[in-house]
Amino acid sequence: MAVYKRSYRGYAGPLTEEWSRFAIIPRYAYRGLFQSKIMTAFFVLCFVAPLVFLFLIYFANSWGRIAAIINERGSASPIGINGEFFIAYLGFQCPLAFILTAFIGPGLISGDLANRALTLYLARPFSRTEYVIGKMSVLLVLLSLITWVPGLILFSVQAALAGGGWLSQNLWIAWGIFAGSWIWILVISLLALALSAWVKWRIAAGALLLAIFFVAAGFGEAINAVLDVRWGKLINLGYVFTIIWHSLFRLRDSFEISPASAWVMLALICGACLALLSRKLRAIEVVR
Amino acid sequence: MNPRPWNLWRAQVEAILRLEIRKTLLARRGLWIYLLAFAPAVLLWIHAGLNLRHGRVCDLGKDSLIFAAMFQFFYLRLAIFFGCVGVFMNLFRGEMLEKSLHYYLLAPVRREVLLVGKYLSGVIATSAIFCSGTALALAALFVHVPRAAAEHYLFAGGGLGHVLGYLGTAALACVGYGGVFLVMSFLFRNPIIPAALVLVWESMNPFLPSLLKKISVIFYLQSLCPVPAPIHGDWSFLAVVTEPAPAYLAVPGLLLVTFAGLLLAARKVRRLEINYGTE
Amino acid sequence: MSEREIVFENVSKFYGEVLGVNRVNLTIPPGITGLVGPNGSGKTTLMNLMTGLLRPSRGRISVLGVAPDQPELLFRFLGYCTQFDSFPRGMTGYQFVYSYLRLHGKPDKESAEMAWHALERVKLTDAAHRKIAAYSKGMRQRIKLAQALSPCPLVLVLDEPLNGLDPLVRAETIALFRALAEEGQHVIISSHILHEVDAISDQVILLSSGYVVAEGQIHGVRTEVEDHPMQILIRCSKPAHLASRIFDLDTVVEARVHNDGKGLLVRTREPERFYLMLNRLVVDGIDLESVAPADDDVHSVYEYLIGTDGGSI
Repeated sequence: MAVYKRSYRGYAGPLTEEWSRFAIIPRYAYRGLFQSKIMTAFFVLCFVAPLVFLFLIYFANSWGRIAAIINERGSASPIGINGEFFIAYLGFQCPLAFILTAFIGPGLISGDLANRALTLYLARPFSRTEYVIGKMSVLLVLLSLITWVPGLILFSVQAALAGGGWLSQNLWIAWGIFAGSWIWILVISLLALALSAWVKWRIAAGALLLAIFFVAAGFGEAINAVLDVRWGKLINLGYVFTIIWHSLFRLRDSFEISPASAWVMLALICGACLALLSRKLRAIEVVR
Repeated sequence: MNPRPWNLWRAQVEAILRLEIRKTLLARRGLWIYLLAFAPAVLLWIHAGLNLRHGRVCDLGKDSLIFAAMFQFFYLRLAIFFGCVGVFMNLFRGEMLEKSLHYYLLAPVRREVLLVGKYLSGVIATSAIFCSGTALALAALFVHVPRAAAEHYLFAGGGLGHVLGYLGTAALACVGYGGVFLVMSFLFRNPIIPAALVLVWESMNPFLPSLLKKISVIFYLQSLCPVPAPIHGDWSFLAVVTEPAPAYLAVPGLLLVTFAGLLLAARKVRRLEINYGTE
Repeated sequence: MSEREIVFENVSKFYGEVLGVNRVNLTIPPGITGLVGPNGSGKTTLMNLMTGLLRPSRGRISVLGVAPDQPELLFRFLGYCTQFDSFPRGMTGYQFVYSYLRLHGKPDKESAEMAWHALERVKLTDAAHRKIAAYSKGMRQRIKLAQALSPCPLVLVLDEPLNGLDPLVRAETIALFRALAEEGQHVIISSHILHEVDAISDQVILLSSGYVVAEGQIHGVRTEVEDHPMQILIRCSKPAHLASRIFDLDTVVEARVHNDGKGLLVRTREPERFYLMLNRLVVDGIDLESVAPADDDVHSVYEYLIGTDGGSI
């Protein structure tokens, strides 16, 4: 037997469970991310608005006592804790989640592709799907922590303070917070990952993510003005999300496009992002 | 020291332009800039085509206002803005990332000459792209107007001045935003966050007090636009009306700001080190 | 400052808190100079400092009397072939060499002639009009060399120039370096492989952890190294039994059982002879796992030269 065959020993130790293997990516990603002081400071800043909303909930529920102090007995609280209140909460937190995504997302895949490191992952018992889920979970966890998690805590606090039948009558608001946040998180995370894989340069991918939100909105308005139509709003992602949130929170405002077309638009965007990821994330490399 | 360095510097700038312009204009990765630049033109040509097909009479006044709004709110603030982000931030930082900047730094070229060459290449490329986009969009405005009316507007109604005004403003936007983003690429490792802040600042411009309005590129560019665009929308009542800067102040003001930016960039490029590992 | 030498005066470079090189004092005369050291020892940092790609945190550098922060003067006579395996996008080999010659301010025709001459020197004329992206590793190494050579520099700085070259091209490239040195040029070559530098250089500079640990004529360094017998680690099942047999060999200076009790460390002055005789010694009952040299790296050379392992200075 050749000497090298005698000295070589393949790894025979325990393996992590297949279902949890993707977690290796976020574990190391967070360590790197929180080394940035700007990132840490911004992440902390994202919890200021939930604290303000918490105070508002307390204020609204304590209105009876406050009114007594200021001699306004019997008057209604100036703040109503309802669907509109929580949609305003999402209106604060989701843009913050977008900024966080623009900061983190573009670098998630582009670095691996630019340094030709993708094969290092895929040469191990680690599939492309696990790779994408791993990368995406970096965003999913962080964005959840600043959107629906504090949102549901606020909802629970309100339910506890309001008492009575408030919880049973307004359970759909909890669903609205949860689903509205998740839709936002999923779409912007997929967009960020797809752009990161497409552009391979973190800075350009970040610029492109901003451009998709701002330029598309501007061009949508241009389409409406020049062609005298309304469907230009479909490429205004902010507007599309507003429609979806309003439908989830059962608000009956009128919009220029229907909720159904907004849902279709989001499905198309997600489909395009997945197709792009599937095309770009391969274990082989084509040199042009 | 070379007694006539200008000749050498000119030859070196030409060599840099030959290398850079091809990279910006012909690269596949730059296709999105063409998309940004020509999207309004495509839209206006579709509009012209539909009008011609259905035999509708075009209202040149209304179309001019639509174009003015589109030029100011989409073209200047978004298309040229992001186009310049892509091109000018790529000039040095992009090459850092591709690990090819050292080839320039290993040539007998003054760093300042390299900066000027690269900046000029960016200005030429973006101006060519965005001025062509503007010209094509303007052509679409006139193509579905009766020939006599178009000629009258162009040669007797000041239309030619408007066309030149739009083209000049587009070129100046490339000069101004180019300077801003070139400096940013030196000052920040990830220039996207400051670029986003600039975008927000420029977008807030209509609502800023008169004094603050003047600390922006868009204020001078809008002052140069031949047709003022009205502000619509939910927040239009908050807009602050300010007298536009006259052209004799707006153009030198913009060039001065750009020059100051380039001076700062020149200081940075002189001390630039190659350390690809940290990118 | 000397106008015939490359001089480092008390030069230090720190990357934040990380040491690049520290207190380097060097004078490099014409001829082929080898910079040797393990990865991370500071070879590339020294070369980048010499060519102005990095600025020293402290000290002064002069290349034939010119400071590296004057690229407009320095690169009139200096060519640097870096170890970065990256190129401007979409260029052919010829375009790459030609375009950067134009940056020297040379006219079209002269640049074209010089580019072809450089491509001929590295034997790449056949592939000149192919995209660099489609080149093999060796071809990419040679096109970088052509680009550095193309303006006919007086000082040629080459960072790991033989990486990726096949033996034939390697021999030709070494011959090219020798020819350049004979023309009176400075050729500075970095490598982490001592014998490679040994084959090329007139003098060597040994680096470790950012410090210059030795410099001088290559012969002196080699003599020092040859004074030390080679160390071989034999992994086997009965090291004590094998040791008793090995002591019978006259080539062995020392044999001792490894600390873990599962191997034998042998020191010999004639490794080739020892390997041949080892086959005869391995008899039934001794299960041999591996035989490998234990000290043929630069660290060991440092240890012999200066009494440390080169990593703890």
